[in-house]
Amino acid sequence: MEPIYQYAWLIPVLPLAGAMIVGLGLVSFNKDTNRLRQANSILIVSLLGAAMTFSFALFWSQLQGHEPYTRLFEWASAGDFHLSMGYVVDPLASLMLVIVTTVAFLVMIYTDGYMAHDPGYVRFYAYLSLFSSSMLGLVISPNLVQVYIFWELVGMCSYLLIGFWFNRKAAADACQKAFVTNRVGDFGLLLGILGLYWATRSFDFEVVATRLQDLVASGAIPGALAALFAILVFLGPVAKSAQFPLHVWLPDAMEGPTPISALIHAATMVAAGVFLIARMFPMFEAIPSAMTVISWTGAFTAFLGASIAITQNDIKKGLAYSTMSQLGYMVMAMGVGAYSAGLFHLMTHAFFKAMLFLGSGSVIHGMESAVGHDAAYAQDMRMMGGLRKYMPLTAFTFLVGTLAISGIPPFAGFWSKDEILGATFAANPVLWIIGYLTAGITAFYMFRMYFMTFEGKFRGNDTAVKQTIRNEQLQSMGLAFGPGAMDPRELTIEPTHEEESAYGEDHSSHDPHESPLSMTLPLLILAVPSTLIGLVGTPFHNYFEAFIHAPGETVQLAAEAGQETLSEFYVMAGSSVGISLIGISIAILMYLQQKIDPSAIAAKIPFFYRLSKNKWYIDEIYDELFVKGSRRLARQVLEVDSKVVDGVVNLAGLATLLTGEGLKYLENGRAQFYALIIFVAVLGLVIFSGVT
Amino acid sequence: MMSTQFPWLTTIILLPLAASLFIPVIPDKQGKTVRWYALSVGLADLVLMVYAFWKHYDFQNPGFQLAESYAWMPQIAINWSLAIDGISMPLVVLTGLVTTLSILAGWKVTEKPRLFYFLMLVMYSAQIGVFCAQDMIQFFLMWEIELVPVYILIAIWGGPKRLYAATKFILYTAISSIFILVAALAMAFSGDHVTFNMTELGLKEYSLTFELLAYAGLLIAFGVKLPIFPFHTWLPDAHGEASAPVSMILAGVLLKMGGYALIRMNMEMLPNAHVFFAPVLAILGIVNIVYGALASFAQRNLKRRMAYSSISHMGFVILGLASFTEIGTSGAVLQMVSHGLIAAALFFLAGVTYDRTHTLDLDELGGLAKKMPMVFALFTVGSMASLALPGMSGFVGELAVFLGFTTSDAYNPTFKAVVVLLSAVGLIVTPIYLLSMLREVFYGQEGKAVAGEFLLDAKPRESFIAACLLVPIIAIGLYPKLITQTYDVKTVQIAAHVRNSIPLVAGKSPDDLAHFSVAPNLSISSPSRLLGIVK
Repeated sequence: MEPIYQYAWLIPVLPLAGAMIVGLGLVSFNKDTNRLRQANSILIVSLLGAAMTFSFALFWSQLQGHEPYTRLFEWASAGDFHLSMGYVVDPLASLMLVIVTTVAFLVMIYTDGYMAHDPGYVRFYAYLSLFSSSMLGLVISPNLVQVYIFWELVGMCSYLLIGFWFNRKAAADACQKAFVTNRVGDFGLLLGILGLYWATRSFDFEVVATRLQDLVASGAIPGALAALFAILVFLGPVAKSAQFPLHVWLPDAMEGPTPISALIHAATMVAAGVFLIARMFPMFEAIPSAMTVISWTGAFTAFLGASIAITQNDIKKGLAYSTMSQLGYMVMAMGVGAYSAGLFHLMTHAFFKAMLFLGSGSVIHGMESAVGHDAAYAQDMRMMGGLRKYMPLTAFTFLVGTLAISGIPPFAGFWSKDEILGATFAANPVLWIIGYLTAGITAFYMFRMYFMTFEGKFRGNDTAVKQTIRNEQLQSMGLAFGPGAMDPRELTIEPTHEEESAYGEDHSSHDPHESPLSMTLPLLILAVPSTLIGLVGTPFHNYFEAFIHAPGETVQLAAEAGQETLSEFYVMAGSSVGISLIGISIAILMYLQQKIDPSAIAAKIPFFYRLSKNKWYIDEIYDELFVKGSRRLARQVLEVDSKVVDGVVNLAGLATLLTGEGLKYLENGRAQFYALIIFVAVLGLVIFSGVT
Repeated sequence: MMSTQFPWLTTIILLPLAASLFIPVIPDKQGKTVRWYALSVGLADLVLMVYAFWKHYDFQNPGFQLAESYAWMPQIAINWSLAIDGISMPLVVLTGLVTTLSILAGWKVTEKPRLFYFLMLVMYSAQIGVFCAQDMIQFFLMWEIELVPVYILIAIWGGPKRLYAATKFILYTAISSIFILVAALAMAFSGDHVTFNMTELGLKEYSLTFELLAYAGLLIAFGVKLPIFPFHTWLPDAHGEASAPVSMILAGVLLKMGGYALIRMNMEMLPNAHVFFAPVLAILGIVNIVYGALASFAQRNLKRRMAYSSISHMGFVILGLASFTEIGTSGAVLQMVSHGLIAAALFFLAGVTYDRTHTLDLDELGGLAKKMPMVFALFTVGSMASLALPGMSGFVGELAVFLGFTTSDAYNPTFKAVVVLLSAVGLIVTPIYLLSMLREVFYGQEGKAVAGEFLLDAKPRESFIAACLLVPIIAIGLYPKLITQTYDVKTVQIAAHVRNSIPLVAGKSPDDLAHFSVAPNLSISSPSRLLGIVK
């Protein structure tokens, strides 16, 4: 075996070392480390760059058709129980390594510009590096326990990064919400792993799958139980990949700095769920009911995300719901058995969505110089408009991303989404209709986003818009005002609302500006795969599927399958491009030419408008049910504890003893009393055991 | 051989005690010599035990090692006999580490420093004595001796409700320890010869009824210490009121005495009764985990929240002991060590925070991250460890317990599924209370008590103490074999020991006794099935 495989463990270890060095520096020599800003970032970026080069080498080697490589060492043992850790390099792992390191590398370069003035610059790089390391560890995991370990570690990094600006209340709430919601998924994942271990005595992906199949086939365990385990495992991806009903954390996660939203909450970590389904695919595939659950969850999430994204005004929130929707596509693809289509979309989405998010960060960065460092203004698309004039590079790349996600050929998203839709149609036409409609909605809201942000007139200095946004914000803070009504309280609230700016200066009077090269360069680089990477997976010659396919599956290329499949492709592709074009046309009419007034439509269907605007009220329902419910339960438990448990045990004389009178009595004759009790008890016990 | 001649354990136990006697006579005007003295004694003892175990302890030997025995009160067959094995060795080292660090944590004690350090050293001796004692009466004496310093330490250096807390502590533990004495005497006098030696007591044949009664008594005694629901209510008061160094020892070492004794006596000496009680233990474990976590979430006081979190985490120890598997038992021991380190770190950091803010009320705290970034960082690491984040010791302990219970062949699948499912609920509740604690203390806007005040970040001494606890936590988390291989042979032996009793007990199927041990919610037909025993 080639020596590069023996050193593949370096890939996660290099960024880890970077994080450790910088982290220790921050802990022990805080001031000096912070002063050496770019020395730290250069160290971390170059370590990751090395990991990236290494990943490409491995990927190349796998592409040449080399055998997958696994290496293990014993990590824990107790008696006969042995648990190994290690790494595996196979086509799937090598592909994920390349995606993760590439996106992370570009995001890190971008971060230098985006976080340039932030006092937490160095800490941010340390977290980024730690995250990259955990994510890389996850994708090369050879068994379920190691997956679980890194699964939780990426969750922790996400927690740290969402809460990066710890003085903001919204960030503090969001990071906790993200962690706890993910823990609910992990709870399922752990139970699933335990259940599978109980049934199969193994943590190995393939062994679990084959043994489980045998067990079900021989009737040793009922099929329903196997399905239950599979669905429990699937709960993990549901949380991590923001699938309904555990998607609520992802939009809130946008409180973190934008590079994080691009890296973790769009391109890599959230795709981990899809990755895990892919790893466990042989198991899922054998359990049809689990596959049904997966595909429907994915389809519903795709639609839910898209339906909410339509009405969002915060550019990052809009992108977040779009991420959720696209992840729904991937999960749906897995659920209908389209293994390589799902992973293909994972790859294309990682590139174009990272670019879109980084683009939104560039927009926000530019807007901040115009409207100040208040996230509520800088991220609201109603304040934007006409930015193409000020930031042409960002606008260009954002347009590429928008075309890609809308499924317009030859951009990357077209090929992958079309492959998913084709496979779904073959499996279940109802699911296909959902996916198909969602594709149209996607094109509409993405172009709405693009037009609102980059076309038309700049609205950053429009005080009426500002006022509307402020009112909305106050309302969400729990102060309900009538629309447009001035409330005297508002004036007293206002000063407290002024966000504490980390920079201390206000540039309100400036125009938006294009971002520095360190930010636009990654955008331009990402535009290349966003445009072209889809070509590796065309139905004419699907190189991607030839490389990545489900274990034990033989690949039949469409071109070889004959003309029939290709003509089918033309029909499918034509119709999905068609619906995208419809969506785009409506967006043009509404937001570019302003021929249709969006608010008139909203007024006609107030129920649906409010449902979408309020995110289907899911947050409110969860808040009532789970957040308040758990607090109430906890308070009741404590009440029982202090009144009943403490009371009963304290009773039997203790309560009176504690209050004083009895204590005196006992203290006088304590020793005798003690001895008496012991004597009687021993006597009783000996006699009792002698009698029986 | 040196190892057989030199009384290592006696030296380790008596060194702090003997040294403490000199404290009253040390010339010390400012109260600064005494603390250096106490610290060097603590450190010397720690070095001594590490050296002794490194040199003379064989990790592959499941039996008792470094054994020594002297006739103490031959008239009543009481010996001074000491030995350690895989269960006690890690706990002795944990005691040495935590106690030494807590002496360092109590560096700024200005009120009666001589008495403070004197008591710390006495406690040091007594705790190690508990873990090493091989004679029931000796064990009981050590157990009792250790109570007195704790009582005084809470009553003098504690918070506002310290007297209530201290009295409650002493009454609970003193009354419960009567059960130890009763059980010890009863076991010693039953059968053909009188002995207090633990090994010999374990070899005696008892009637099942007797075993069950003795087990129940010991369970109450150790259940108070561990603590097991419903005997836990002394703990939030004691931990909440004690000063930081004392809380560190309480949470780090004292609770482990309960878990240790449960293994040493209940499981090793009374394995037949353990078979009956194990389902009860499992259920109590779940209650501890979930109930403790929920009660913790409702607490508005930082230290009380951590105290309830200790209750929750010790539930995993009980669950592991009830598993009848090697990995479950190993997990229980690991969880004890791990919780000792984590709880000590968290209580210490709570003390550091209190030192600056003078309040533990979560409603008044907030926004400390900016003022105390170092404390924030350490607190975050500690909380992550406590919520069982992989890469830290807590995760390994809990995973092992889960795996142990899942693979246990002593219970039927339904019971196992219910137990694992319910205890895994703790996985969700634990981050809720720990992360909201972090959020309320460090994130967001500045709280009432700290607004506008200058707060000093962690000093090097404080960072050092936290680091000494966090480094082993992470080391164990990264490579658990570091610690598990030191006791693996022993936990394997214990698991085999209790498992051997299953067929014995199941064969007897004592219908008249079934109601003793059967948990009310296990309504399955036959008596052996009632226990959840498959075989």
